[in-house]
Amino acid sequence: MKAEMQTLWGSFRMSMLNFFSDPQWIIPNIIAPFVFTAVALIFFRNASGSLALYAVLGGGMMGMWGSTLYGAGFALSFDRWNGTLEYVLATPSRLVWIVAGRSASSAVLGLVNALAVLVVAVLGFKAQLGIVDPVTFLLALVLTLASLSALGVLFCSSFLLTRSASVLTNGLEMPIYVASGSMFPIALLPFWSHPLSLSLGPTWGIDAMRHAADATYTGMSFGFWPDILVLVASTIVYLAIGFWLFILVEKKARRDASLVEY
Amino acid sequence: MPANPEKAITVSDLRRVYHSSQGIFKKTRNVVEAVKGISFDVDYGELFGLVGPNGAGKTTTIKMLTTLLTPTSGTARVLGFDIVKDVIAIRRGIGIIFGGERGLYYRVSGRENLRYFADLYGVPLSKREKRIDELLEMVGLAERAEERVEGYSRGMKQRLHIAKGLINDPKLIFMDEPTIGLDPEAARETRAMIKGQVENGKTILLTTHYMYEADELCHRIGVISGGRIVALDSPSALKRFVKDVTVIEVEAFGVADADLMALRQQPDVTAVNANLEGERQTIRVQTARGSEFIATVTKLLSKAKIMDVRIKEPTLEDAYLKLVA
Repeated sequence: MKAEMQTLWGSFRMSMLNFFSDPQWIIPNIIAPFVFTAVALIFFRNASGSLALYAVLGGGMMGMWGSTLYGAGFALSFDRWNGTLEYVLATPSRLVWIVAGRSASSAVLGLVNALAVLVVAVLGFKAQLGIVDPVTFLLALVLTLASLSALGVLFCSSFLLTRSASVLTNGLEMPIYVASGSMFPIALLPFWSHPLSLSLGPTWGIDAMRHAADATYTGMSFGFWPDILVLVASTIVYLAIGFWLFILVEKKARRDASLVEY
Repeated sequence: MPANPEKAITVSDLRRVYHSSQGIFKKTRNVVEAVKGISFDVDYGELFGLVGPNGAGKTTTIKMLTTLLTPTSGTARVLGFDIVKDVIAIRRGIGIIFGGERGLYYRVSGRENLRYFADLYGVPLSKREKRIDELLEMVGLAERAEERVEGYSRGMKQRLHIAKGLINDPKLIFMDEPTIGLDPEAARETRAMIKGQVENGKTILLTTHYMYEADELCHRIGVISGGRIVALDSPSALKRFVKDVTVIEVEAFGVADADLMALRQQPDVTAVNANLEGERQTIRVQTARGSEFIATVTKLLSKAKIMDVRIKEPTLEDAYLKLVA
């Protein structure tokens, strides 16, 4: 397990170093969620605290989700472009741990985006964001980040089978942002979309955060701890499926010689 | 426990077929047999060369032996481990050094590149920094270790590739055209490092297009052509393939392709090779007819401007050209 943790941490670190060395990543990760939140706050500038909270949480979640999705899409495309993929694949580390480290770094970078949105909302728009229980809020936030990382691993395994990861990345950003109820509760969405929404860990994460932040929030009516339970369970399921898919993908890649093509 | 610890590599009837398809509605399937049942072995401490023209199957062979590709049939053992079943055990014990510009994280420093690969190879954290310092010192990059790789020269990048390939202190190193694209000085430095690794007890499997390099470095050479090994021996033994051959070297300007074709069609001509250096062409003609064939050569090249004609000692390149012709 020590070797796996070293791979995970090393990949997390390298991903961070590459991120900060290339300023263009700031556009989808910082500017886009900030603009989205700013627009929402301008719309709801005279609204009550709950709506402002929704706008800020929504903007933050958008940043975290966007970052995770881009991270998953580019986790190995980046190596394809650099010519480092064969070297990475030839190491004794399992690909899933490498991708997990990179995915975790994307989720943490998403948290930075969320904090930036929060600071801008409070200082720039004077948004009133009284969080009732900061400790449970923080717990829900950390677990949502873990869930996003696990989703990143799951998506990356699928992206590996195609050379069009960027198309999938762009196509999946908005649907899941809406389906997870980041900006508004999923109760407002059509009924047929609920199974998708409920299968997404971040749906439960954002609900738990709203429970922790707003005492009057009723949400999906399960309460904070049931939300956390489903969030953790879905994260474990994502990771289990992701691990299994990665084993299949690695075997397929060695058989078909397809992984390093681009 | 490895099955055959006496040999670093054992390859038996290894074969690899690639399948591809084109078109959406009316698919055309292509089948290419890149490696057609090759067999060879490599001893510990040996520097084994694999040479052959483009598309001969060298890189596919290396990819199978480094576990990046599974063979279609046949078996191979690397460090005693099976290349299909014991993937992780093989990866722990080997290093990979490919030539070319790519294969490094350009936006981070040389040290960070090595640190990352040390983590992926599971180099213990207590030994990691010492190992990186030693390697940077060995390849002469200690002073530039904190700089971004994008600012390195081509030769420095290749030296970093070598350090990266040695990060896990491998017993066996695979080198795929490590001097390709390097200037003569950088290529000489790289060859010196390769020799140094063999002196330190490493086993190396090297592919190269440069016959003088294979001649200088390799203990034994396998010549691969069309997916098959057509000869396997020491460089001096391979040169004996052309001991009965006279090599006529012509320096000329304006030799047309048709002239070369006419030379190739002459009876007793085994190979004709033309190299272009600026405007000047160097034509090497292998013939069994001895120096008397000079008259035929000059006659066939009479439309070109001939600067010099001389008889040369056959080299490994001549043997190679005869073997792959």
